[in-house]
Amino acid sequence: MPTNKEIAFAAVMNDKAGGRLSTYPIACGVNRKLVNGGITYRDWAHDPKLYAQAFIEGQKKFSYDFAIGLMDLSVMAGDLGAGVRMDEQNTPFVDKPIVNSVEDYEKLKVPDIKKGRSSVILEGTRIFSQALNDQVVTAGFIEGPLLVLTQAAGAERVFMDMFTNPSAVHTALKTMTAFDTEMVKGFGKTGCVGLVWDYLWANYSCLGDKEYEEFEGKYCRPLNKLTGTEGMAFAIHSCADLPHLDTQIFDFKPAIYSMAYYPLIPDSPSASEAIAKGYADNCLLAGQIDPQLFIRGSVEKITQVTKDLCQEVKTALCKKGLGPRYCIASGCEVPPDVHTKMENIAAVVETTKKFGKIDW
Amino acid sequence: MSKEAILNKLSDAVVSGKPDLAKQGANEALAAKIDALDAINGGLVKGMSIVGDKYAARQVYLPQVLMSAHTMYAGLDILLPAIPKAAMANVKKCATAVVEGDVHDIGKNIVKTMLTAGGFDVTDLGKDVPIASIVSDAKAKKWDILALSTLMTPTMDGMKAAVDGLIENGYRKNVKICIGGAPTSPAFAKEIGADHRDANAQDCVAWLKERF
Repeated sequence: MPTNKEIAFAAVMNDKAGGRLSTYPIACGVNRKLVNGGITYRDWAHDPKLYAQAFIEGQKKFSYDFAIGLMDLSVMAGDLGAGVRMDEQNTPFVDKPIVNSVEDYEKLKVPDIKKGRSSVILEGTRIFSQALNDQVVTAGFIEGPLLVLTQAAGAERVFMDMFTNPSAVHTALKTMTAFDTEMVKGFGKTGCVGLVWDYLWANYSCLGDKEYEEFEGKYCRPLNKLTGTEGMAFAIHSCADLPHLDTQIFDFKPAIYSMAYYPLIPDSPSASEAIAKGYADNCLLAGQIDPQLFIRGSVEKITQVTKDLCQEVKTALCKKGLGPRYCIASGCEVPPDVHTKMENIAAVVETTKKFGKIDW
Repeated sequence: MSKEAILNKLSDAVVSGKPDLAKQGANEALAAKIDALDAINGGLVKGMSIVGDKYAARQVYLPQVLMSAHTMYAGLDILLPAIPKAAMANVKKCATAVVEGDVHDIGKNIVKTMLTAGGFDVTDLGKDVPIASIVSDAKAKKWDILALSTLMTPTMDGMKAAVDGLIENGYRKNVKICIGGAPTSPAFAKEIGADHRDANAQDCVAWLKERF
């Protein structure tokens, strides 16, 4: 029987010998509940050993096919100097943006990545990659330049300044790109197999192709290339409702693309639609279980949803003549909430291993 | 300048996202003795409506919508004080808020803009708003509509606390409660006893207009 790691590689390589769909509910912060009887989010997010231990314990308990080191989207903004509200058990967020005038964009400086939570992520990723590289495909997680800037400066401010002060925004984006460059090089030294980029704003609810290209796309391409140069597979996660799939998959060419599904939003692509449109032809797609089910759903409900998704993607993959090019995952992070049901995570993994089998 | 030209100027200012032009048009409307409500509805709101349609059709995107909203409010700041209080007597009162523990407010701000453009009297409570104050203010200020938003899972429970609080203080039957934000769903709205959940600001306004 193939190992988790072999299943994950087979999925990425479209190798039909894998025998089943891969799975990775994006369970990151929630795994802290498995460390030392349960630790706070604050402790988990500030200590690289505890951060890594959560992924290691999660692997022991759930036997995932991947390990992806997502912390939260206030890490880089916090290290730039923005105020971060860190509750004990909830996802932290920026509550004091660092940009309060147009002039402030120019004052942004690349922080020392050996300090702050950037260093926690880098060191934590190194620890869990060393521990898990023989079991699963490991990956770091990083925010794209525009996402870092909107987190640090406030999204509304940045979007309006794109109109009124574009040169100031570009100045800041160059700094964010330099910050990302340092981080990519840092991740390259951790031994993780891949690096997952969050390019959240490549999303038709927010930006059109033209605006995206001007304010992030052109900054992304060198970073995408650098990811490979530093020895990591390039992957993208987007939990947006209407992602720029042509740009992010056909142009950027990631090895893995993780996405969410919003059934109530017209044109939000389902798993089978994304496969039918050719997005899985050259990349492993991942998704699209509703993260809320991990808190509010029963084991029976999430098991049925997983079973249905397995059937949906197996049918779609076969129609396209593809191998196991779909990873059963949550569309966004499994909520790192104290009320998240760990048994629901187990249900997704176990159901995929049972019903994701396919004899090509 | 004719009334039509001034109204077009206001509308065009909003569509093109030029707040200075909206201020100029608003002052010209008042100087020309145009009814302030006509200037709002026939100029600013008309422009915002065009922008809303373009956004829905993906002809413009969030930066343009935010600039247009900013422009509409620049004009409203001048025109609203000129409306006689009696003309506002029957306007439905609405409050918008991002619930306590969350600061993601772009979606809420779009809803606020569309509600304003839809003719509601909107009080924006802002972000990270304590549930207790939402509940007590709703009753004290006699809001007809409460629009609550969150983008985060842990803070969804605040929406339920708001509904429960309004039941407890006896005001629930007087107020329509709409919720929004990525993690919410119609099923969640039903579960907590809210009246409506929408993913689209314009659709939410249309839903409310049908009920008032």
